[in-house]
Amino acid sequence: MDILFFKLALAAYLISTLGYIASLLVRRVLIAKISTWILVTAFTLHTAFYLAQLILTQALYVKNVPETLSFFAWILCGIYLLLQLKTKTRVLGAFISPVAFLLMVGASAGVAGSVSIPDTLKGGLVTLHVTLSVAGEALFALASCAGAMYLIQNRLIKRKSIGSFSRLLPSLKELDNINHICLLWGFPLLTLGVLIGSVWARTVWGSHWQWDPKQIWTLAAWLLYALLLHQRLAIGWKGHRVALFSVLAFLILLAGFFLEKAFFNTLHNFM
Amino acid sequence: MNLILIGMNHKTAPLDLRERLSISCEGNIHPLTEIMKIPKMDGVIYLSTCNRVEVLAQTTEAREAQQGLQDFILQHGNLSRQELVRCLYAYEDQEAVRHLFRVTSSLDSLVMGEPQILGQVKDAYRQAVENGTTGIILNKIMHYAFRVAKRIRTETGLAANAVSVSFAAVELAKKIFGGLQGKAVLLIGAGEMSELAARHLINYGAAQILIANRTPARAQQMAEEFHGRAVPLDQIEETLRDVDIVISSTGAPGYVITAGMVAAALRRRKNRLLFLIDIAVPRDIDPAAGEIENVFLYNIDNLQDIVDENVRGRMQEAQKAEVIINEEVSRFTRWHNTLAVVPTIVSLKEKAEGILRGELDRSSGWMQNLTQEDRNNIEILAGSIVNKILHDPIISLKEESQDYAAIPYVAALRRLFKMEE
Repeated sequence: MDILFFKLALAAYLISTLGYIASLLVRRVLIAKISTWILVTAFTLHTAFYLAQLILTQALYVKNVPETLSFFAWILCGIYLLLQLKTKTRVLGAFISPVAFLLMVGASAGVAGSVSIPDTLKGGLVTLHVTLSVAGEALFALASCAGAMYLIQNRLIKRKSIGSFSRLLPSLKELDNINHICLLWGFPLLTLGVLIGSVWARTVWGSHWQWDPKQIWTLAAWLLYALLLHQRLAIGWKGHRVALFSVLAFLILLAGFFLEKAFFNTLHNFM
Repeated sequence: MNLILIGMNHKTAPLDLRERLSISCEGNIHPLTEIMKIPKMDGVIYLSTCNRVEVLAQTTEAREAQQGLQDFILQHGNLSRQELVRCLYAYEDQEAVRHLFRVTSSLDSLVMGEPQILGQVKDAYRQAVENGTTGIILNKIMHYAFRVAKRIRTETGLAANAVSVSFAAVELAKKIFGGLQGKAVLLIGAGEMSELAARHLINYGAAQILIANRTPARAQQMAEEFHGRAVPLDQIEETLRDVDIVISSTGAPGYVITAGMVAAALRRRKNRLLFLIDIAVPRDIDPAAGEIENVFLYNIDNLQDIVDENVRGRMQEAQKAEVIINEEVSRFTRWHNTLAVVPTIVSLKEKAEGILRGELDRSSGWMQNLTQEDRNNIEILAGSIVNKILHDPIISLKEESQDYAAIPYVAALRRLFKMEE
């Protein structure tokens, strides 16, 4: 029953992605509007999937890689749709929707497969740790999307090529705003997620810190974002530099995720 | 259709000729009533703008009416017959409809896609309606024309993107700042183009205008005009800290704003975005300033390039617009063709309706024994039989009307149903 919702959500993400691509090709606002509503539908179905899972098994499964991908897509979508209400930058959906769809494709490999979960990973703190960290990272993903769009738009305006592509992208100011909002919310969420993780690590492993590759890498990324936020709020970095920095920071975060998977055996290896 | 359209526009007639005609029409005579006095004239719409004079007329006899119209123009426009022949165009029926659609959609305008013409055509139509010089056909044509204009506006990019330098500057500012609400603008030097750009920026919400000029009195005068503030020339460097957009157009031989000034200002303004527009020749702003992060520098050539690109874009969109025009002209023609068979269809329906009423009245005596519900049902049944029988002939007649072959059918129908007058 819950897996049916998952498949419907996957299909809806695909349709919305195709819709957004079509709207870019023929440049009709109406198609983009419809795509947004399909994305809302996808998000609702995805939410229904989690609700059904919660009712049927009394637990949310966000423990292995595919499940995390699905959860990431869900959070990303939810945050984007909230942003859409506030900022009216529909074209960002054309970036978010394909990302959500690809995440879901990755997720469909292993969602709802019953993996045995080690006892150390059960409990409310773990769920909170994962939810907050993933939400924080999703916001950083959005910040980097907005940052990448900013870099493109900035380059187009600087090089004086104000063609149809530049017209599709939002103004620099709007993109900078989105970047700002996402950093401002993403940072405290990730901080809280990491703190809760370390509290829980103490209860199961006896220490807050294990020199685990994922811990080290996350701390490095966290420091990078702390620096970025500091420069933005205190020093007054704006525009181009912040956009570039947030794209790079997210790439580092992403690289960490895949490098660990490939080369290290970590305590986090279940996800 | 017996429609004729004659007129002259910026392509066919020089300005002084159009002037002569439009002035004489505005002055002592009332063109609509004068034109209606021409024999064989059924209805008329008269449009006069600074780029064109157009007369669309519904006539009972096209040739004669056209001759009358030409005489009217010859008489009131003070022009010779040679000038008339050279400058005047005349269209009939479908071509007249097409020309009207093109004019209303701004395809025939000097600046293609400009929005004013639609309003001017609407005014002309309103005047005609107020003077009672339009009938069914002219009303229908005008409604079609307004719909075509709307379709072209929404379905093509004919009216999108700036085609003047000052508007291109406004669009760029929006690309950078999102909206212009609350933005401060610094004008350095006075000039027609910078004033125009400033006016556009104010229209789009720019909050504050600062003016720096070589002659302080002129700066003061402009400051009053724009409800802004005059700034001494030597304080430009400080002012750069507070403004978002700079438009420079002085006649100075060297750079008024150097890259160093911009870099220093940017530090003090905490890297807020800065948009510099240099429309002076020789240039006022050091091109190196454009290399600085968060600074966007456009000179007059850059803006002109955007305008040229947009004009080319409009040319392409115009082809899409012509397709829409073709569609709508043939749709209008179809509607017009069915007009020929409409009276016959109406009398056929009236005749059937009459028979139905008569028979129901005759039966009212015995139907009194029935319940109200049964009587209603019988009326509904009889009515739907009549409609079913008439449906096919009416549809066929409308179809036949499309290729002008309806005349024998109309005659046969009138004969068979004894509908001759």
